[in-house]
Amino acid sequence: MTDLTPGLLMILAAGAVPYLPHHFRQFFMLGAIALSAFGLTAGAGVHWALPVFGHELILHHADHLTLPFAIIFHIAAALNVIYGWHERKAMEHTAGLAYAGAAIAALHAGDLITLFIWWEATAVTSVFLILASASERANQAAMRYLLVQVASGVMLLAGASLYWRETGSWAFAAMELGSLGTWLIFLAFGIKAAFPLLNGWLQDAYPEATVIGTVMLSAFTTKLAIYALARGFAGTEYLIWIGAVMAAVLIFFALIENDLRRVLAYSLNNQLGFMIVGIGIGTDLAINGAVAHAFVSIIYKALLFMAIGAVLHRVGTAKASELGGLYKFMPLTMVFCIIGGMSIAAFPLFSGFTAKAVVMKAVGYKGLVEVYLILLAASVGALYHSGIRLTYSTFFSHDSGHRPQEAPINMLVAMAIAGGLCIAIGVMPTQFYQLLPYALDYQPYDASHIIGQLQLVVFGMLAFAFMMRFGFYPKNIAATVLNSDWFYRRLAPWIVLPLVQSGLAMAKAAETAVVSFAQSMMRIAKDMSNHPLSGPVIPGPAAVVQVILLAMILAVVYAALG
Amino acid sequence: MSNLDQKLKKMGRLASIALVIIGMALLVIEVFVHRHGEIAMEDLPVFPAVFAFVASVFIVVISIGIRAILSRREDYYD
Repeated sequence: MTDLTPGLLMILAAGAVPYLPHHFRQFFMLGAIALSAFGLTAGAGVHWALPVFGHELILHHADHLTLPFAIIFHIAAALNVIYGWHERKAMEHTAGLAYAGAAIAALHAGDLITLFIWWEATAVTSVFLILASASERANQAAMRYLLVQVASGVMLLAGASLYWRETGSWAFAAMELGSLGTWLIFLAFGIKAAFPLLNGWLQDAYPEATVIGTVMLSAFTTKLAIYALARGFAGTEYLIWIGAVMAAVLIFFALIENDLRRVLAYSLNNQLGFMIVGIGIGTDLAINGAVAHAFVSIIYKALLFMAIGAVLHRVGTAKASELGGLYKFMPLTMVFCIIGGMSIAAFPLFSGFTAKAVVMKAVGYKGLVEVYLILLAASVGALYHSGIRLTYSTFFSHDSGHRPQEAPINMLVAMAIAGGLCIAIGVMPTQFYQLLPYALDYQPYDASHIIGQLQLVVFGMLAFAFMMRFGFYPKNIAATVLNSDWFYRRLAPWIVLPLVQSGLAMAKAAETAVVSFAQSMMRIAKDMSNHPLSGPVIPGPAAVVQVILLAMILAVVYAALG
Repeated sequence: MSNLDQKLKKMGRLASIALVIIGMALLVIEVFVHRHGEIAMEDLPVFPAVFAFVASVFIVVISIGIRAILSRREDYYD
């Protein structure tokens, strides 16, 4: 029973979800997740290999790196079930359970083909979470999302095939960048990990999903890519700078974007930067930091998406320019949102503090001063967009006139559990560190570190208050901020469409020319046959045309040979 | 201005005052507790406080610049 790939049970169970009555279905899904999680007790090793065409698919491989990801993926899947309890339609539940299952199964893939299968499965299942919004806008975003995700899968398969030809192995293990095959695999991971300029799909698609769909999406795809990078490319130096750029640049976008779910999508992307820096450094301490950060960020990110989702559910909009003053009407949601914000801002006693400390320590150990300062500034940035801006513009700021009810009880329960986990990890770092891949003897709570971090957070907030007071802080304006999806949504059509159009026009002109040429030839042939120059031999028009064509063919052949 | 708006304004003022007090306390506490960091620069007195304030202003200034360049009307893609 424990040999079965974790996650597979969830995918199978998803098949039954549409046919079950509402409340029973939710319990059924929790049961499937619990059974799947039981598979994690199998321990490290290869538990299920399937020979196919003389090659062995390793369907269930577990080790110290898969375990922390598998644990948090199961927790996130269960939280999603609770958060979406009120939803009676089965579509999101079915897709969400299968999606989580596919992501968990992908973690346990021991070879690149199995990884490819589950990699694509996460794309195909999750697209329904966007389609479930049932609007034209969402449909288009869903198709763009699917194209990008499938492209990532195709690159993975192509890369894996080249890698196999090169090394004779399909095994998914540490790789060295160099050949085309490894680069393709690296880029396939990079698309899902939302590297700079490959990130457009994330901010494009996630905010178009349904309220519960976005929460589901936030946990799995990108963190699966983080896991894949940690397994395949730990210690790849490029990643340090890719991660630093991600952590830094996306802050600015998160500060000016108006749709708060899109702000969170930028913020998610910015958090991935910290993990990728850790993977790029590649030491035991740094990998621990990356995994710790992935673990806690799944929780606080889900919590923030849940809080904003609850607001969207009650108010009908998640646009910063249309929100404000909701603390009075949704006080519990506000408290949970603040817990999520304090976690991402790495406030002492919250989960971000215990995780970020490990990444920063690893960067400091390595002596990467510039990267360290960038990440430190990115921490202040995270405090800004997800800690201050999100809470402030939703729950405080000014009276927006909305008078919503508090969030539904099931949403509050899910947020309470997520918030509880944020605090539990924050106050029990030693226990939390035991989940990490490598042994870690570290205590983040010393007076020096606490005071330093408090100064960072409090003076960041003071600067905000200061800028607000003097009207320097940018206002929430309804607008579209261009992101890297612009390249394929606008630039590509601008370049490709005129090319296609001018190609068509040229083909049309060529056709007209050929036709008029043939017509004039016919006319000449007719004239010649009607007005014989001399003698009794009168060739019909067809014969004249044939002679002309023959002459042309001869000329062409002669030219080609000569 | 609605009642709620007045209340929000008052809360904002109180929060700002509280932040100033806490901030000052955090600066003073450094006299009594030795603080050090992962890199040498961090060991400078009140480095995190200064860094956070400067970084905040820097981030906001750059954001305003990016907004000027990359912001379009809301229905740009429709």
